Amino acid sequence: MNQIIQVTILGVLLGGVYALMASGLTILFGVMRVVNIAHAAFIVLGAFFTYFLWESTGLDPLLGMFVALPVFFIFGAILYRLLFPRLEGSPRFSEMTVLLTFGLAFMTEGLMTYFFTGIFRQTTPSYLTEAFRIGPFFIPAAQFYALLASVVLLTGLWAFLNYTHIGYGVRATMQNRMAAQIVGVDVRRVSIISFGLGMALAGAAGALVSFLFPFFPARHWQWIAILLSLIVLGGLGSLKGAIVGAIVLAVISAFVSQYIGPVWSPMVFYGALFLILLVRPQGLFGKQVRV
Amino acid sequence: MTDRTPETVTETDLVATEATVIDPEIARRRRRSRITIALVILTLVALLPFYRSMGSYNYVLQVGVSVFMWIALASSWNILGGYTGYISLGHNVFYGVGAYVGALLLIHYGISPFVSAVLAGGVALVLGLLAGLVTFRTSGPSFIISTIALLFIVLVWFDAWALTGGSNGLSLPLPPFAREWLRVPFYYAMLTAALVAVFLGYRVQHSKFGLALRAIGADQVKAEVAGINTRLFKMLAFALSAFIPGVVGAIFAYSISYVRPTIFFLIAVGAQMVLMSIIGGRGTVAGPVVGATLIILLNEASLTYLGSTELNLVFTGGLLVVVLLFFPGGIVGSLRERGKLPAFLDWD
Repeated sequence: MNQIIQVTILGVLLGGVYALMASGLTILFGVMRVVNIAHAAFIVLGAFFTYFLWESTGLDPLLGMFVALPVFFIFGAILYRLLFPRLEGSPRFSEMTVLLTFGLAFMTEGLMTYFFTGIFRQTTPSYLTEAFRIGPFFIPAAQFYALLASVVLLTGLWAFLNYTHIGYGVRATMQNRMAAQIVGVDVRRVSIISFGLGMALAGAAGALVSFLFPFFPARHWQWIAILLSLIVLGGLGSLKGAIVGAIVLAVISAFVSQYIGPVWSPMVFYGALFLILLVRPQGLFGKQVRV
Repeated sequence: MTDRTPETVTETDLVATEATVIDPEIARRRRRSRITIALVILTLVALLPFYRSMGSYNYVLQVGVSVFMWIALASSWNILGGYTGYISLGHNVFYGVGAYVGALLLIHYGISPFVSAVLAGGVALVLGLLAGLVTFRTSGPSFIISTIALLFIVLVWFDAWALTGGSNGLSLPLPPFAREWLRVPFYYAMLTAALVAVFLGYRVQHSKFGLALRAIGADQVKAEVAGINTRLFKMLAFALSAFIPGVVGAIFAYSISYVRPTIFFLIAVGAQMVLMSIIGGRGTVAGPVVGATLIILLNEASLTYLGSTELNLVFTGGLLVVVLLFFPGGIVGSLRERGKLPAFLDWD
């Protein structure tokens, strides 16, 4: 029994971070119908950013996260302006963005490998080896702080979407792009801001990844496959779906890893995606849309 | 995006028909010239292994094997991704499964992969049908994502499965050919596979089946209204485009006498098929051939002169971005748009 609770705790801790990693991806799809295959590559880039910041100044990765946020926001806004206006008006916009960001993912991976080499890296703040003890259970400090940071960022995101003027615009665009435009939302500005926001979330997730997992440039494929499964599972563009899916599946995969074997744990995400496609093709929280 | 009224549609259609109606004599001459040029190129390619005195003989043949293999793979991908617009980013699943089928039959039953390749293709075809059952429940970006998930399912599975040797893979018995002739059988096998794949693409392009696929690609709802059984046709396209990769996989596995999940099930392998088709021009017969030849030769050149695989990746990704943004029709599509497509590349 104790072991079951312990595994659940570890699963929830991991699920919170997955939720943060997937949130940026969901926002991009929800607002702009962009599927960003390069999202995980940018998460790895965020991890490198935090790593080098930590190495050169000794800045804790949790604080480095707050440096990564604005830097990646600006990076995202610039990237959007450079790449996406040309694709707008394409009848298969979403598919085109998949291919475009697919190319972008390869470029990012190649550049990172070229400049930073392919070796494993990890930031090692002091709390990496610590753990809290509650009764018979252990809570690893690093994972706990990461979960806390995810909760703070996701709450901030929620508050931004629900209580700010731009947030209204973003949500309106998510619901109906055309109608938002008619009632006077500057959709282009909203798109730039959401792309920046998605990228900022990738940078922040990268800061947490930098101490949670050993990372190297090519690692992003494994993560993007999990994240994409999560967002399709939750219903494309549904933030709630992505978060719920992330936590539930992370717990299941923690059990699989514990009782069946760690190699099989990613299978939970892909398998769940296939199951959900069979039962409910629009995803857990997705709207029923006919093609 | 552009709302065209029925009047303008008829008008443009008229203009289009007028432009395409050319003197039948010229059309016949164009057709004859393209067949002549294609036959000349094919003859030269087929006779290449007889030119024994050339320097680095085996290297040249190996590049040939590689070019033909990728022509076959990209052309097969094009049947699904080019015509119906359903983009599969995990198409190397079929290539890899074919390789393992060929390898296992050779190891356990001693059947030469040159024979069992067709069987490997059959297994890939059935797998394609099964995958289609699930993945065609969605469309657009969700479909693409489900093909990536399929790839990773197979990767995780083959990495852990004892029958396939796990992540260490399997070693195959060496082919029983003399060393100096080692590459020649593979050269002709891959050439045949490439010809069959291109011929399949040509048949698809010039048949009602292909017309149905293109209708699905243009607008699925309208295609359905027009009486096309879209689900059936998409399944058939998926199965057909899975067959050749299975065949080619078995032959390739024999030629490297080694199979391992990371050779076949990396996402970069599937990405190559997509990249080649798009750069050449997806939805055209000649596009994947041009794209595959170009990419393989460029890759070989960059490996020889730059020797860096990381930059290769940057180059691959960058090329995809540039083509999508500036030449969405690929080489063949863009040349045709400008009316500069040479006759021997015009097979549509």
